[in-house]
Amino acid sequence: MLNIKELLDEVKASPYREIVVAAPHTGVVEFAGLKPGDQVHGRRGEFKEKPGTLLAHLTRERNRKPITAPEKGEVESVRTELEGQFVEAGEPLATIRHFLTRKEVIERILQEALFLFRAPERAKYYFVPEVDQKLKVSGKRSVKVSEGMELMIVSRMKRETPLAYSGPEGIIHSVYFGRGDNVDEGAPLIGVCPEDQLTVIQDVVARIQSEWEEA
Amino acid sequence: MVPDRHKVLIANRGEIAMRVMRACRELDLDFVAVCTEADRESGHIRLARELAGDGAVYRIVSYLDANELFAVADAAGATAVHPGYGFFAEDFRFARRVVRRDRPMEFIGPSWWVIRDLGDKINTKRIARSLGVPTVPGSDRPVYSELEAEEIAANLFDFQAAQGIVDGVVMVKASAGGGGMGIEEVGSFEAFRSVFRRIRNYAKRNFGDEGVLIEQRIFDFNHLEVQVVAERGGKAQVHFGTRNCSIQSTGKQKRLEVAPGFAPDVIPYTFDASGVLDAITRHSLAMAKEAGYDNVGTWEWIVTPRGEPFLMEVNTRIQVENGVSAVISRVHDRPVDIVSEQIRLALGGRLGYSQDDIRFEGVGIEYRIVAENTDNRFTPCTGTITRFAWRPHDWLTVHTQVPQDRAYEIPMEYDPNLALALVWGRDLAEVRERGLRFLDELVLEGESGGRSEAFYSNVKYLRDQTGGILEF
Repeated sequence: MLNIKELLDEVKASPYREIVVAAPHTGVVEFAGLKPGDQVHGRRGEFKEKPGTLLAHLTRERNRKPITAPEKGEVESVRTELEGQFVEAGEPLATIRHFLTRKEVIERILQEALFLFRAPERAKYYFVPEVDQKLKVSGKRSVKVSEGMELMIVSRMKRETPLAYSGPEGIIHSVYFGRGDNVDEGAPLIGVCPEDQLTVIQDVVARIQSEWEEA
Repeated sequence: MVPDRHKVLIANRGEIAMRVMRACRELDLDFVAVCTEADRESGHIRLARELAGDGAVYRIVSYLDANELFAVADAAGATAVHPGYGFFAEDFRFARRVVRRDRPMEFIGPSWWVIRDLGDKINTKRIARSLGVPTVPGSDRPVYSELEAEEIAANLFDFQAAQGIVDGVVMVKASAGGGGMGIEEVGSFEAFRSVFRRIRNYAKRNFGDEGVLIEQRIFDFNHLEVQVVAERGGKAQVHFGTRNCSIQSTGKQKRLEVAPGFAPDVIPYTFDASGVLDAITRHSLAMAKEAGYDNVGTWEWIVTPRGEPFLMEVNTRIQVENGVSAVISRVHDRPVDIVSEQIRLALGGRLGYSQDDIRFEGVGIEYRIVAENTDNRFTPCTGTITRFAWRPHDWLTVHTQVPQDRAYEIPMEYDPNLALALVWGRDLAEVRERGLRFLDELVLEGESGGRSEAFYSNVKYLRDQTGGILEF
């Protein structure tokens, strides 16, 4: 039986996540003037159409790309010594302290209730085109999965092989990987909600909605 | 403006990057290298730092991000780009961008219009047919429509049935693909649709064009290649002989190559093998001349058990197996390095020799040492190499990015190729004996998931294959 209170207490003990904002590619960096302690916000709007707070610009091949805060939080540090310099890909630019949102807490706790279909090997994973299209058009909870269904493509070292779903029948509740991510062996790919777990999951959502206060 | 001294951006990784670095040093050129996070332990990074200092290595997000490469080229002041074997080597848009941007550079490879004309398998087929060069039966333009694809497949299955082939097979290939990628076989019409869709999606994702080529699968063939080298401007073309690349993994990746392509003096073939080698080199050079080919490239051929050659495709780039052609070739009685030739010619050097100045001597084998399970469909093996060593010989050259003095984690983002070993012998018997000796002396140990028994390599497979090389 899922002990929601215990799990919630665990999260409450450490309700922050540190986010390191790194250069997504090479380029010349110009910071937007933020300093430690400043508040920033992530992408907002119904369709996440409003960008987060501007942290810096990265110019590469005459394209000036804004680097924005990925999440809401407080600026912990900014590497102003890099101002005006060419930086390599992956160079850390700033650190943000992010207070977990209700949705994130729900996702974290739901991992205990959902059936997690895990990566059989370290690789890149893609949904098969039919599922991918359905997820894009109708959203995550529109796809029902069942044992043996061809669900994903495993891309590894120039090879692509189909991967069939194995587990209880249910709907895809959560997707834990992004396009092009390298997923480690054993890491969850999707969280499937079997029908008999529906009440537990609704309970988790309701409890967190009422008990978790967002900063 | 022609710079006084070129600086080459090496836009690739692994052993080809190392070979380009050494070639640059030999040609007295500066260079700059790139690496991704996954490659931070690779030998090519260490060699770049050794030869050109810490400032010669730039960390990028991907070898396949052109903007990354151009940003590094500008930051480092590079004047030429070597794309290695990768996707960019056959991408005419990339080659065109290199030479047409605000700060143009030299592209080390054929001119972009040559890549465009010969990089497309279907256009290559058209040029070949116009010159009377035999090609494999099948579609002669990219197929996008499922209905059209099914009609072609049905015709090919019917054609094979009419020839008495009971279990006919059709090949489905990404039109813009290469290097054995984006190719699948289909054994029945019922299975065709799903394979066609899969290859079309793969082609779109990897090559940006979902055009698909459908061809008859020819069984029991030998895969031969002709190494062409040509001067900038398409003024002079020569060949560096043939090679036999028939030993391949189930995923159509070459594993062992031999030069020359046949040994008619030693092995009794059921057809005129010398005549076939002559025909494919003649056809390849004729096509190179017609297309104005102007750098290194490979003409790939299928030879049937009856000795019929069919042109498969042209690889408009340097190939992994260039070394095995070089190992048997002498120009003015001196050894030749095709990577150096490629760079020299791309930067405007004259060829300086004719076909009559090229002499072939002995037999060469190239072994591709790969971490893979050959008993399980050549499944790539991830893990750590803990020991890697071989005994040096004057007939052996090993190119590898795997360090020999420390453990090396195989990055899963790329091919699990560990090394290329080039073995030379005076004749077929000697090269086989030396090849087996090298493989016996090779020490290759590793672990996967912390267990040494879960680590696989193809060394035993290569040993098993060595005895039968060049036999049809």
